[in-house]
Amino acid sequence: MSLSKILGTRVLSVVLAIAFCFGLDAFVTGQLNEYVVRLVMLAGLYVTLSVSLNLINGITGQFSIGHAAFYMVGAYSAGIVSNAIYKTQPLAAPAYMIISMLIGAVFAAIAGLIVGMPSLRLKGDYLAIVTLGFGEIIRIIVLNQNQWGGSYGYAIAPKYQAGWLIWLLAIICIATCRNLLKSAHGLAFLAVREDEIAAQAMGVNVTKTKVVAFIVGAAFAGAAGALFGHMESFINPDLFKMEVSFLVLTMVVLGGSGSITGSVLAGATLFILPELPRIVSFKMSLGLLLSVLVGIGVLVWMNRKFMEKYHEPDKLKRTLVVAGANIGLAVLAVVVGKLLNNIPQFGTTTYDANKIRYMILAVVLLVIMLLKPTGLLGHHEFSWDWVKRVLNRNKAGEASA
Amino acid sequence: MALLTLKDATIKFGGLTAVNKVSFDIEKGDLFGLIGPNGAGKTTCFNLITGVYEPTSGDIDFLGTRICGMAPNKIAEIGICRTFQNIRLFGTLSALENVMVGAYLRHKTSLLGGFMLTPAVIKETAELRKKAMELLSVVNLTDIAHSRACDLSYGKQRRLEIARAMATDPKLILLDEPAAGMNPQEKDELRDVVFKIRDDYEKTVLLIEHDMKFVMGLCEKIVVLDHGEEIAYGDPSEIRNNPKVIEAYLGEPV
Ligand SMILES: Nc1ncnc2c1ncn2[C@@H]1O[C@H](COP(=O)(O)OP(=O)(O)OP(=O)(O)O)[C@@H](O)[C@H]1O
Ligand SMILES: [Mg+2]
Repeated sequence: MSLSKILGTRVLSVVLAIAFCFGLDAFVTGQLNEYVVRLVMLAGLYVTLSVSLNLINGITGQFSIGHAAFYMVGAYSAGIVSNAIYKTQPLAAPAYMIISMLIGAVFAAIAGLIVGMPSLRLKGDYLAIVTLGFGEIIRIIVLNQNQWGGSYGYAIAPKYQAGWLIWLLAIICIATCRNLLKSAHGLAFLAVREDEIAAQAMGVNVTKTKVVAFIVGAAFAGAAGALFGHMESFINPDLFKMEVSFLVLTMVVLGGSGSITGSVLAGATLFILPELPRIVSFKMSLGLLLSVLVGIGVLVWMNRKFMEKYHEPDKLKRTLVVAGANIGLAVLAVVVGKLLNNIPQFGTTTYDANKIRYMILAVVLLVIMLLKPTGLLGHHEFSWDWVKRVLNRNKAGEASA
Repeated sequence: MALLTLKDATIKFGGLTAVNKVSFDIEKGDLFGLIGPNGAGKTTCFNLITGVYEPTSGDIDFLGTRICGMAPNKIAEIGICRTFQNIRLFGTLSALENVMVGAYLRHKTSLLGGFMLTPAVIKETAELRKKAMELLSVVNLTDIAHSRACDLSYGKQRRLEIARAMATDPKLILLDEPAAGMNPQEKDELRDVVFKIRDDYEKTVLLIEHDMKFVMGLCEKIVVLDHGEEIAYGDPSEIRNNPKVIEAYLGEPV
C-alpha cells in the first residue's frame, strides 16, 4: 500500500467513526426512551472494558481479574478532579468530558502500573489473586473515605451523558488493540502470552511488554470509568464490586481470549446481565433460564460433529446419545426449577431475577468451556477477507448443489 | 579476540554442581560441538550463556564484554540466540509469525507507533515479514508458513526454531539437540542448513547433539562434558580416540 492510500483510508475511517458516534447518539437520544439510551451507553462502556481487559488477559496472557478496580479509579479520580475544577475552567460540558476522560485514564494507568509490577514475578493463579486483591483493596479504601462519601456514594458534577464519547472511546480502544495486532509490535505481546522464556530469548523485553499491556488496558478502563461517573453523576463503591470484574472477565473468556471481535460481541451483549432485574419480570427470568438451556441443546447439537468423529460410529447410538443429552438437560432444568421453588428465600411464587442471572452466567460459561474451551471465537478475528471467503464458499456450495 | 569465552564457568543448584569450572573459547566462524552424556550440564551451559541463569562463579565474555547477569533479551540483542531442547515455539502463532518475533528484535519503530499503526510501522512489518519468509525458505518451510506452529511435525518444529533464532540476526547461534527426533533424511537436510548458516550467513554455531555421526561430520571443534566437568577438547578425530571420552560417553570407538 502506498502512503497516500494508507493515509486516505485512515482519514476516512476516523471520519466514519466520529460520524457513527454522533449519529448513534443523535438517533438513540432522539428516538428511544431514557432507559434504552442508558443501555446503549452501558454497552459502549462494557465494550471498552472487555476489549481493554482482552489486551491484558487475552493478548498478553496476564491473568488479571481486577478490571473493575481500574474502572473505579477512573470514575472516582475524574469525579474528584471535576468537582474541584469544572466550575472554574472555561470549557463547556461536552468538550470538558474529553479532559475528564483523560484524567480518569491517567490515574487508572498509574494504578495499572502498580498492579503490573507483580505480573513481572507472578504467573497464572498467583497473579489472578493479586489483581483480585488489588481490586478489593481499592474498593475498601474508597469505602472508608468519608470525604468521598464512603458507602453512601459520591456526587459528581457535571452530570453529562456523553453517548458519542462513550462509543468513540470504545472505537478508539478497539482500533488501538487491532492496530497493535496488525503491527509487528503486537507479536511481542502474543509471544509473551505463548512462552515467556522463549520470547525473552528472542530478545522481547518481557518486562516492558507486560507493564505496557497493564498500563494501556487500565487507561482505557479508567477512561470508561470517568465517562460512567459523569453519566451516573452519583457513584458508590458497590458499583465496582468483584462482580463487575468477573462480568468483564466472562466477556473476554466467552468471546475467546485474545479475539478482539469476541470481546466486542460479548461486551455488547453480556452487559445486559446486571440490568436484567430491571428489564425482566421475575417470571420471565425462568423463561430466560429455559432459553439458555435450549441454547445448550443447540450447542450440543452443533457438537455432534465432535461426537461423530470420536465417540460412536453407530448412527443410532449416536442419535440416542445426543437426544439423551438434551433430555437429560431438560430434566435437569425441571429439577433445578423445582428445587429453586423449594428454597425458602426464593419464595414460593417468584424467582429473583437478580439471583438467577449469575446462575445463568455460570451455566453458560460452564457449557462453553466444556464445548469450546477457546471461547466462541477462539483466536479468530472479524475481517473483510473472512466475509469474502465465507460468501465465496456459499457460492461454491450453491454451484455444486 | 575470541567471540565467546567461558572461563571457569560454574553453577550450583543447591548441592548439585551442574556445570563445574568449564572453560573454552569459540572463535568467529567456528562450528563448535558440545557433547556429553545425559545430565552432563550441556543445556545448563546454554542457559548460562544466554542469561537464563547467572553463573555462581567464573566469567562468560562475549566480544570482550562480560555478559554474566545480563537479562536474556539483552544478550539476544548483542548477538547470541538459541533454540530449545524441549521445543518452545509460540504454539498458536503461525510459523511465519514465530520467525517474525525473532526478526522483531531489530525493529526501529516505536511501540506507540505500533498502537497507531503508522505508515512506518506498516512498512517495517512488511519488511520483517519478508525477512521471515526468506529465513523460512532457508530451512525449507515456505509451504507451511501459515500453519500454526503447534500443528507442525517434530522435525519441522526444530527447523522452525532455527529459523526463528536466525531471524534475530545473531553473531552466535546455539542449537540444543537440533537433530533430536529427526529421521536420517531430515538429518541430512539439517546438516546442509547448518553449513548454510555458517558459510552463507557467516554465523558462528555452537551445537549440542547426541547423534555422534552427525556431530563428527559437522563440527570442527568439540568440547565434552561429563558430570558438569570438561573432560576433553579437540577436533573430531581427537575426541573419537580420547580414552576418557570413550569411557564416559562413547562406550566404544566410533
Ligand atoms: N534449574 C535447575 N535446578 C536444579 N537442577 C537443575 C536445574 N537445571 C538443570 N539441573 C540439573 O543439572 C544437571 C544438568 O542438566 P542439563 O539439562 O544441563 O543436562 P544435559 O547435559 O543437557 O542433558 P541432556 O542430554 O539429557 O539434555 C541435571 O542433573 C539437571 O537435573
Ligand atoms: Mg540438554
